[in-house]
Amino acid sequence: MPDWQERITRETAPAIRVEHDLRYAAAAPVVHASAAWCDLGCGSGLGAAGGLGTPYEGTALLVDVDAAAIAEAGRVIAARELIAVTADLTDPEQLAQVRTRLMEAAPDGRRCVTCFEVIEHLSTFAPLVELLVALAQDADCSVVASVPNDAFWAIESPHHRTTWGEGAVAELRSLLPEDHVLVHQVALEGSALVRAGEEATEVASIAIGNGVPTHFVLAFGPRVKALAAGPRVVQADLGEQRRWERQRESDLHYAQEALARLERARDAPADAPPDPADNAA
Amino acid sequence: MKLAFLLNDLQLSGGVGVAVRHARELASRHGHDVTLVLTHEQELAPWQFDGLAHLRVEGLAEARAERFDVAISTWWETAFSLFELQADRYAAFVQSLEDRFYSPGTPERSLAAVTQGLPVAVVTEARWIADTLAQLRPETPCRFVRNGIDKKVFASPERLEARRDEPLRIVVEGNPDVWFKGVHESLAAVDHMTEPHHLTLVTGTRGHCREEIADEVVGPLTQPEMARLYADSDVVLKLSRVEGMYGPPLEGFHMGATCVTTPVTGHEEYVEHGWNALVVDWDDPRGTARQLDLLARDRRLLHFLRSNALATARGWPSWEQAGTFMAAALTAIQRAPAPAAAGARQLMADARVELELHRGHIHERNELRRFARPVQRLKRLPGMERLLRARHKPLVRRLLRPLRPLKRRLLG
Repeated sequence: MPDWQERITRETAPAIRVEHDLRYAAAAPVVHASAAWCDLGCGSGLGAAGGLGTPYEGTALLVDVDAAAIAEAGRVIAARELIAVTADLTDPEQLAQVRTRLMEAAPDGRRCVTCFEVIEHLSTFAPLVELLVALAQDADCSVVASVPNDAFWAIESPHHRTTWGEGAVAELRSLLPEDHVLVHQVALEGSALVRAGEEATEVASIAIGNGVPTHFVLAFGPRVKALAAGPRVVQADLGEQRRWERQRESDLHYAQEALARLERARDAPADAPPDPADNAA
Repeated sequence: MKLAFLLNDLQLSGGVGVAVRHARELASRHGHDVTLVLTHEQELAPWQFDGLAHLRVEGLAEARAERFDVAISTWWETAFSLFELQADRYAAFVQSLEDRFYSPGTPERSLAAVTQGLPVAVVTEARWIADTLAQLRPETPCRFVRNGIDKKVFASPERLEARRDEPLRIVVEGNPDVWFKGVHESLAAVDHMTEPHHLTLVTGTRGHCREEIADEVVGPLTQPEMARLYADSDVVLKLSRVEGMYGPPLEGFHMGATCVTTPVTGHEEYVEHGWNALVVDWDDPRGTARQLDLLARDRRLLHFLRSNALATARGWPSWEQAGTFMAAALTAIQRAPAPAAAGARQLMADARVELELHRGHIHERNELRRFARPVQRLKRLPGMERLLRARHKPLVRRLLRPLRPLKRRLLG
């Protein structure tokens, strides 16, 4: 069953959560070195909270189109100061406001922006790309962004307004400053043995070669050399995963039954006897 | 932004269609003021490109009176008119390295190559062009914008039905008069097939190739008609020698047709041998026929390639997405400093004069050839050759001497 959940929640599959955490962990040195950090499309903030590690000592601008998501992010992200900005990132005027707030938050420079898994959701990303490039070139701002490799699997997510893959990333790179950095995020699979009743303490080293990326991470601006690469592996909580997947399947089945019942009721003649199947349900 | 796209004409061609579609996207979805500037007097009515009615179309004379933020050439000949427009930035939308369209030694080849060195910003649709230009002009940033596909017209099916028993349905499209389109080679390859097949040739030009090889000859077709044809077909056969980033196999992919192609420039953008298509050698009609025969026999392989072609199509950008990249590229060009263009205006004006003079000479030569035709026919008459040789003999020369004043008067 395809997973079209787009907001990261505590119930999100561990493999997806760890992908988000890793991107923030990679950007963490850049974020912590900045006086102001703007998280575009912050969502529920779980990825940032999981990836940044220590509390952020600067001013964090949490930007999203959904005010409720920002409020949730504000509860989980630890920062010296939090500023909530509700903005549509396709609108040049609202983007200009984001820029103004970021400039005000760090008037002396040392700014950074993270923009993970956002671009593909926008009906037009041209104004956002223009803003990010301008910030990197003129505003002492480092930018770390990511897009998924949907084209490889021919994934057609109903939440994604544009299709991303190696070709689209090449197009995007041709718009970025020449010294930008491209990082491939690759998937890991694994397994471990733990003596029953004992806690696992060993950490295996992992050899990582070139492979098909699940995501492309792009970084540009003054401090992106600090970008940290490296794996992040978490133990899969299969109990939680099973609960969540079964709940979803069960809910879907229940909703389909209800829909079928409603359609039968709508199509039945007014004087028809009740359908026994409806009573059974 | 106020943008001008320079076009030679608005006749049916892939390159013009791409430029018109970008212009339409920039105007309708990104709010830019876009003008199509035609650099030549138009003798034929324009092809009815989708969305053309919503764009402003002007001649050079009108456009010279305006000022644009970015003026963009779309074909090498239009680059000669680029600097005639007043614009803050000049750009070239490079759809191929167009000198390759012409034979070595022809002036068009040299002039087309000259345009690649112009001090203008560059946008291109294929990575091989971007890579080549990066080597030729490392100082000039080259923005890469792939061509989109109209996902409403080339609306992919949810899933493909495996075709097991019918003859292999092949499409060949292109103008047989254009040497690098490989239409003749494609027909020759199909002619060498031994397995049952059905060939549809799509061309706007009739009677210039061995049409009898095809089961059906149609065209020119609109995009919806092409989409229907691809949906009914198994394979697009494309043996081009020069391409920028060819669209027909990709359109076929969207409708569930695989492709048999030469490794022509641009194929690497989406063709993967053995995954979604088969790549064949140059000048190998028999080998190509064997690949087509293989697809006709091995329907499991055919279905695998068609399924992956469809999956490749799903990952390809729509025109809306391509238009967004073009909008971002042109914004970046406008923001960046203008390349030093001193002298380019004069150079282009001089080159354009040379080109027009050359065209005049070609026209004159063709006219003279027409006049000379009766003389040539006369020379080919029986005995004429001996007669002409005889005029150099002393006796004949003496006999013809009285006619010399008359000859001088006639020939000046």
